[in-house]
Amino acid sequence: MAWLTEFGFNPAPATVMHLDINSCFATIEQQANPLLRGKPIAVAAYNSPQGCLLAPSVEAKKLGLKVGMRVREGLILCPDLIVLTPDPEKYRSVHHSLKKILSEYTSVVIPKSIDEFVLDFSGTPSFTRGLSIVALEIKRRLKEELGEYLTVSIGLAPNRFLAKTASNLHKPDGLDEINKSNFLKVYQQLSLTDLTGIARSSSLRLNQAGIYTVLDFFQADLQALHLAFSSISGHHWFQRLHGWEVDQTEWAVKSFGHSYSLPKFLTKPADLAPILSKLVEKVGFRLRKSNFQARGVHLGLLFQDHQYWHQGSSFTQPIFLSQDIYRAAYHLLSQSPHHLPVRYLAVSCYGLVPGNSIQLGFFEDHLKKENLVKALDQINLRWGNFTITPATMVTAKDLVQDRISFGR
Amino acid sequence: MIQKISASISVELIYDHRQHTVTPRRLFWNGRLFRTTQLGLHHTQHQGQTLLHFFSVVSQGLFFKLKLDTDTLHWTLEEISDGLAN
Repeated sequence: MAWLTEFGFNPAPATVMHLDINSCFATIEQQANPLLRGKPIAVAAYNSPQGCLLAPSVEAKKLGLKVGMRVREGLILCPDLIVLTPDPEKYRSVHHSLKKILSEYTSVVIPKSIDEFVLDFSGTPSFTRGLSIVALEIKRRLKEELGEYLTVSIGLAPNRFLAKTASNLHKPDGLDEINKSNFLKVYQQLSLTDLTGIARSSSLRLNQAGIYTVLDFFQADLQALHLAFSSISGHHWFQRLHGWEVDQTEWAVKSFGHSYSLPKFLTKPADLAPILSKLVEKVGFRLRKSNFQARGVHLGLLFQDHQYWHQGSSFTQPIFLSQDIYRAAYHLLSQSPHHLPVRYLAVSCYGLVPGNSIQLGFFEDHLKKENLVKALDQINLRWGNFTITPATMVTAKDLVQDRISFGR
Repeated sequence: MIQKISASISVELIYDHRQHTVTPRRLFWNGRLFRTTQLGLHHTQHQGQTLLHFFSVVSQGLFFKLKLDTDTLHWTLEEISDGLAN
């Protein structure tokens, strides 16, 4: 791979746009309710003192509030803080409306999360207009068509990583480009942990290799990076920092999972069963909707004292019924060696196989089961989620609300 | 302070054919008439196959979140707020 070093920084113009809705959930709430504008607000998982802040508004951030803080901590920093609980459908609606606008400029619009999009303009008519002009037009249309209080930070670069880096340079409402002319100047302003993907542990690893700044990182040779990361990652970082594309891979779905932070810690499996049942219903529904079956079920438990226990269970015959997933998950739950109060429960299905590859068994009528579950899913699709539920989750009806995950 | 309400409400909705905009103009709730001054956000959601429209509006210093069920064409006041901390 030594030949790579001869290429230097990618001389191509910026073709990738990274777009990030600023303080997404909070700004959308301020857009919806004009009486909240200009005030410190935060969307939190729960509005109880232990609730985790998911999105402080720009005004709240200026007062020192950060994502991940507890509501209690937020109220110490800002006694007038207005705390809201999430309204996922509102955020999804804005996400879809924005995606519709973006799709008018290029066919390659990739949502990276609820508030982030990557757009590739290679070979599009929009590219010939100039990406800065297109970016300004998107900002204007966002305000005109979705809401005047919404702002986005936009980054332009020859690759996805640098486009994201550029979108982080000025918040809120930024527009920056990283290209062959200015990349050294930008790198000088950044610290290693400003780079997406370099957390404290990776930064320490780089320090051990004599790399202390982003400029050092950029100037490091391939061998030094390979030694620092002990994997192909070093090679990828070399290319990323030189403006070449290595993050174009779209990963296939490998699992379906749901988790829940319990507002009240529970110890007995019987007490956790209704919550487990509701999580499994959500997992099973998504698994079948995507036309998959699973060869394994995984359960994770975080206890009050922050000990984590997890266990998986694999099967020769793939499963798709929520009832079967629940049975396997409950079995794992009852195997937990810790009898401590549980604060967090996660269940997932893995080992995915296409839904149409059912092997007929001698003793069970799979076709009958499949037809039954299809009918149940259709009722829930027609009349809304959880119209028909197993009796085990009746007491968890109002628990495990709809949430938006931070990933894709 | 934000209050979840979920009560029936009377709504006068205006469609402007030139601007292609739809805005709740007047609300009648709790024996009072409210003339809306600002539409914050209009968004939609499916509950099963039923399409619901949500209008977030401001009137007389109060915020109203209104829901229109497109199956029944009935309106519900979902939430009311004065924009202050709880």
